[in-house]
Amino acid sequence: MNEATTETTVVVSGAAVLLPGADTVAALAGGPLPGGTPVEPADHVGRKGLRYKDRATQLGYALTAAALRDAGLLGEDGLTVPAATTGIVASSNFGNLDTVARALDTLREETVTGTSPMDLPNASSNVIASSAAIRYGLRGPNLMVCNGETSGLDAVHWAATMIAAGRAERFLVLGVEPDNEVVRRLLGGGRAVDGGAALVLEARVAATARDATVRAVLGPYRRAADAPREPGHWELPAHLGSASGAFGVLQVAAAVGWFDAGRREPVRAVAGGADHDAGADLLLLAPEAA
Amino acid sequence: MTYRPIVGMGAVAATGSGVDELFDALCRGVSGRAELRGFDRSRFRAQHAYEVDDRPAAGQDVPGRATRLLLDAVGQAVADAGLGEDLSGIPVLVGTGLRELRSLELWWRDGSPFADSGLHFGTGLRERFNADVTHTFSNACSASLYALALASDLLDQEGDGAPDTVIVAGVDVLTESMYGLLERVHPQPPDRVRPFDRNRTGVLMGDGAAAIVLRRTDDGTRRVHGRLRGVAVNCDAYHVTAPSPGGIAEAMRTAHRIAGVKPSDIDLVMLHGTGTLLNDEAEATALRDVLGEDASAPLMTAVKSMTGHTSGASGLINLIIGVRALQEGRVPPTVGLDDPVEEAAPFRFVTGEAATGRDLGVAQLNAFGFGGINAVALVEGTR
Repeated sequence: MNEATTETTVVVSGAAVLLPGADTVAALAGGPLPGGTPVEPADHVGRKGLRYKDRATQLGYALTAAALRDAGLLGEDGLTVPAATTGIVASSNFGNLDTVARALDTLREETVTGTSPMDLPNASSNVIASSAAIRYGLRGPNLMVCNGETSGLDAVHWAATMIAAGRAERFLVLGVEPDNEVVRRLLGGGRAVDGGAALVLEARVAATARDATVRAVLGPYRRAADAPREPGHWELPAHLGSASGAFGVLQVAAAVGWFDAGRREPVRAVAGGADHDAGADLLLLAPEAA
Repeated sequence: MTYRPIVGMGAVAATGSGVDELFDALCRGVSGRAELRGFDRSRFRAQHAYEVDDRPAAGQDVPGRATRLLLDAVGQAVADAGLGEDLSGIPVLVGTGLRELRSLELWWRDGSPFADSGLHFGTGLRERFNADVTHTFSNACSASLYALALASDLLDQEGDGAPDTVIVAGVDVLTESMYGLLERVHPQPPDRVRPFDRNRTGVLMGDGAAAIVLRRTDDGTRRVHGRLRGVAVNCDAYHVTAPSPGGIAEAMRTAHRIAGVKPSDIDLVMLHGTGTLLNDEAEATALRDVLGEDASAPLMTAVKSMTGHTSGASGLINLIIGVRALQEGRVPPTVGLDDPVEEAAPFRFVTGEAATGRDLGVAQLNAFGFGGINAVALVEGTR
């Protein structure tokens, strides 16, 4: 961990998207159309192991599998690289609010004996990150970022920071927000995206060593009180609702979609701002910048 | 290997507010255990917890307590470091298990005002300290040591944007949902936290917050309490609530390697020691495996026996109490530990009264969370 320098190049070597109306980075970059059907996690990872898991965790499973597969890291027998070389950083603000509210309702309307022991893991907000690690055998650092509007970009930043520090060669970065009654009341009637995106971030040398395709390169990130100086390039269609903690990860996935399609100009991702506790921005560069 | 100086500390828990008061109370064996203060007790079988007694009216819970405890601890730490109250541009990394979910609960059922901007701590830190490089990590019971690892990574960076100062904090207060679900999985309702004792009944939650100011280098102008030698973090990838001794042992070995210590260098272990039925055995098994023939050498204690399980705050509370113990040669006892479990048989627990007059150089701090997320840190004291 003493090799850490800001010079470490971190690349994106895999990406996945699951939103109503978009299940590829190309569709995301093009802008999901209204009228998409809700994401069904079982269609992507099967029904096994989904029982007792909250919606955000199920979406996280599907995104994790898709991004690892896209990066060439998931084979027939599971992970194709040593478990400890790969960590997870997940971002979500609304992830387990449904479990908390439901358990509380039971406590207030009955007593503690009415609650389900199966809810215990879901009452801990890090269940999205730990569950994905357990299902796919990722034994590197496991971090859950719940940092408001900037959370998704912050998650990308912390994965890059831990790669630079030598804590793991690569990280699965997951941004997911479920939609449900608790979230809608909290958003004053608005809805959440009920989906998200996942990325594989990797030290350039680690990606090169396994002949991975570089899809984008991470540029500078900053979080500060002042509003981001320029707008982001990708905008969330209003019909999808609030992306909250998934927004930053979706923007990076959209950038990958554009670079895949031949765009060469950098893509700016922006979240938060003057209306929030801070704003964050991140620059994504085309693959040849690596 | 660069050791990062700790130049400010602040803490609050059921047993005291302020590092001096808290450390003295723990050394005297004072427990913060009391009957539940903020919940309707008729809903639960368990009746006790380790809460900070700061509610305006007895029996009535109020929103925003986690934020208030956090701001208190950060305020203490920055004052101790002589930083002043404007923290703009200084990274503030907060580890928490439950964020402001208690405020969400009071909004959901009791109609108190709440907005999604209040789920994390950036909003409160901005209002009080003008802090803008704020990060809330929800990493269960190892959250504040995970935050410490990330702070250490920031301080290892070079270049123009690399910070000289990072504030690390941890906080949690009881939520009704977690308190209830935790007791739900115990065959008999937990009565008190008795880490490593054969007759323990399980874990009870506690309120707490802690904060430290870490510097890149010691510039000679500030008092240095101790130095961070290294932090390791990993994940068992095994089970959503049950721990794995193998994953824990791996985190300990990595921490020793990063910090450049061998088992015989360790004078004190501040145990995670939650009193949970599975966890204490898993921690003891891993520790025995890693320490090997030195398993009986270091003093060991588990302060959750007096603070309760302060979840996201607990790793950093362990750090602060550990640093103070190294400074003073005085180690708080593990209250209620009478008959240690077989796995912990070789350990030199401090029980009964505080150990005093010891010559202690290096402490290991353990924190393990739901999902098998492990964090282990090594610190050295200054006298």
